[in-house]
Amino acid sequence: MLKKIALEEAVGTELAHDITEISENGFKGPAFKKGHRVCDEDVCKLQKLGKNNLYLIDLADDEIHENEAAALLAESLAGAGVVFENTPSEGRINLHAAFDGLFTVNTAALAAFNMTDEVMCATRHTNTLVKKGDLVGGTRAIPLVMKRAPVERAGQVAAQSGGILSVRPLQQMNAGLIITGSEVYNGLIKDRFAPVLKEKIEALGSLVKEIIFVPDDADRIRDALTTHIAAGCDLILISGGMSVDPDDVTRKGIQMAGARDMHYSAAVLPGAMFMSACIGSVPVLGIPACALHHRATVLDLVLPRILAGQKVGKKELALMGHGGLCLNCTECGFPDCSFGLGC
Amino acid sequence: MDPFEVLLEQSAAVHGHLCAGQVVGVRMAMLGCRLIGLEDPTNREQIKKLIVFVEMDRCTADAVAYVTGVKLGRRSLKFMDYGIMAATFVNLETGKSFRVLSTEESRDLADSYAPEIEGKGARQVEAYKRMPECVLFRVQKVKVHLSEFDLPGPTRKKTECHRCGQVIRDNREAIIDGRPVCRPCTEQSYFSHAKEVTWSGMNRTPEPIGREKEDIPC
Repeated sequence: MLKKIALEEAVGTELAHDITEISENGFKGPAFKKGHRVCDEDVCKLQKLGKNNLYLIDLADDEIHENEAAALLAESLAGAGVVFENTPSEGRINLHAAFDGLFTVNTAALAAFNMTDEVMCATRHTNTLVKKGDLVGGTRAIPLVMKRAPVERAGQVAAQSGGILSVRPLQQMNAGLIITGSEVYNGLIKDRFAPVLKEKIEALGSLVKEIIFVPDDADRIRDALTTHIAAGCDLILISGGMSVDPDDVTRKGIQMAGARDMHYSAAVLPGAMFMSACIGSVPVLGIPACALHHRATVLDLVLPRILAGQKVGKKELALMGHGGLCLNCTECGFPDCSFGLGC
Repeated sequence: MDPFEVLLEQSAAVHGHLCAGQVVGVRMAMLGCRLIGLEDPTNREQIKKLIVFVEMDRCTADAVAYVTGVKLGRRSLKFMDYGIMAATFVNLETGKSFRVLSTEESRDLADSYAPEIEGKGARQVEAYKRMPECVLFRVQKVKVHLSEFDLPGPTRKKTECHRCGQVIRDNREAIIDGRPVCRPCTEQSYFSHAKEVTWSGMNRTPEPIGREKEDIPC
């Protein structure tokens, strides 16, 4: 329960919450911390901050203070790879990445959490690459004192599926590349795919184990896939032949190699003719030609998620539509742009 | 108690269709029964220990009644016409009572929980299956005031209406000027202008199966 008392009568009492100062020099933060015992010298400064009354708190058994509530919420929100310090400032607790990896948000659960009264949590976009220590979210309880039961219920909402916010480390995978195209295989033109794919894979901490060049021949494509899997590749990227021309037999070759969960098309531009599949437990990604011409494509959205152990199939590729539009800026600023956010 | 999907299929068949209200009702009943410690309510041992108050006459009410086995005629199902998506589950043996309320926000969250499902109805059905209980429901511990006249079992009291002579069961009479009066006579009834009539074929009785209809002697 909160009791309002006049400032002059508050001398000797403890502050019930942090008191925020926004100064002319741009500082915004707590001028006084919760628990500070008000003394005569404080009165003038508090008056300057617009405080003529203060709250005294007398918590009932079924009530909870905002700081304790924030700690409870942060504890529930933080899934694997997300940490926080229980030092609320102005009732807020920040959550950080415990290590480098892919930050993910259970967005449905986050919406459910924020639909519960008197609590909030704001986060970065889901499926964002983060570094150890990066700020990934912030939470707070809104009122100074709340009923305990609704906060605990909000905590349960936050804790679903092991915590709404999590960071997963990227696995180091051994990728096999297959570069298809008779024109490249026969030396009519020089391959440009392999260096692009290699750079993207290595930038995320994985390795390219082997590169196989094949003509537009479904049997040869199937054999190349089998070779990579036998060699221990746990990820296969296959480029070329993903279009609709009669010579484009890549998908047929993948099918012949025993692929399952094949899905062709992604709601991403550039990258609509992307294909995902699995052979056994090995993800197979069919990369359309746009990866040659655009700095950021569907591959840049999918690859981190695969390395973080996610399945990326029909549903995931469909949900990428929201935010999946590259604006083709004169100077590409990816990943610091809207491309891929919201998926 | 059978698994959720089995209960849902059976409940939808009895109700007439599968809908979001059925999903909510089946889950509401499963939660309510769990909270009061009667997890197999249709079992002979437990069936007499349970009373359920439903606060809406919607699809959800049918699902709650189906899963719990409570029935109006057995006095284990009480209909409270509140227009609220809630039901209260009472364990008569222990007195434990919990009121389970369907959250309003769960309706808004259906798009988030099943974004890939096309069509509002189908999306709600799938989303309500996926939501954890803490998103789908709020729960209140309550005290339910039951008199002996609310309990299952034989009629405990009969009274005659002082105005029309109608027999009133189970203490449902109003007392006006110290005398018992039936609800229709209090003018707080759901009908008005009651006038007794005759109807064609009013001599009819059900025809026995396998027997020629006998002429009824005049």
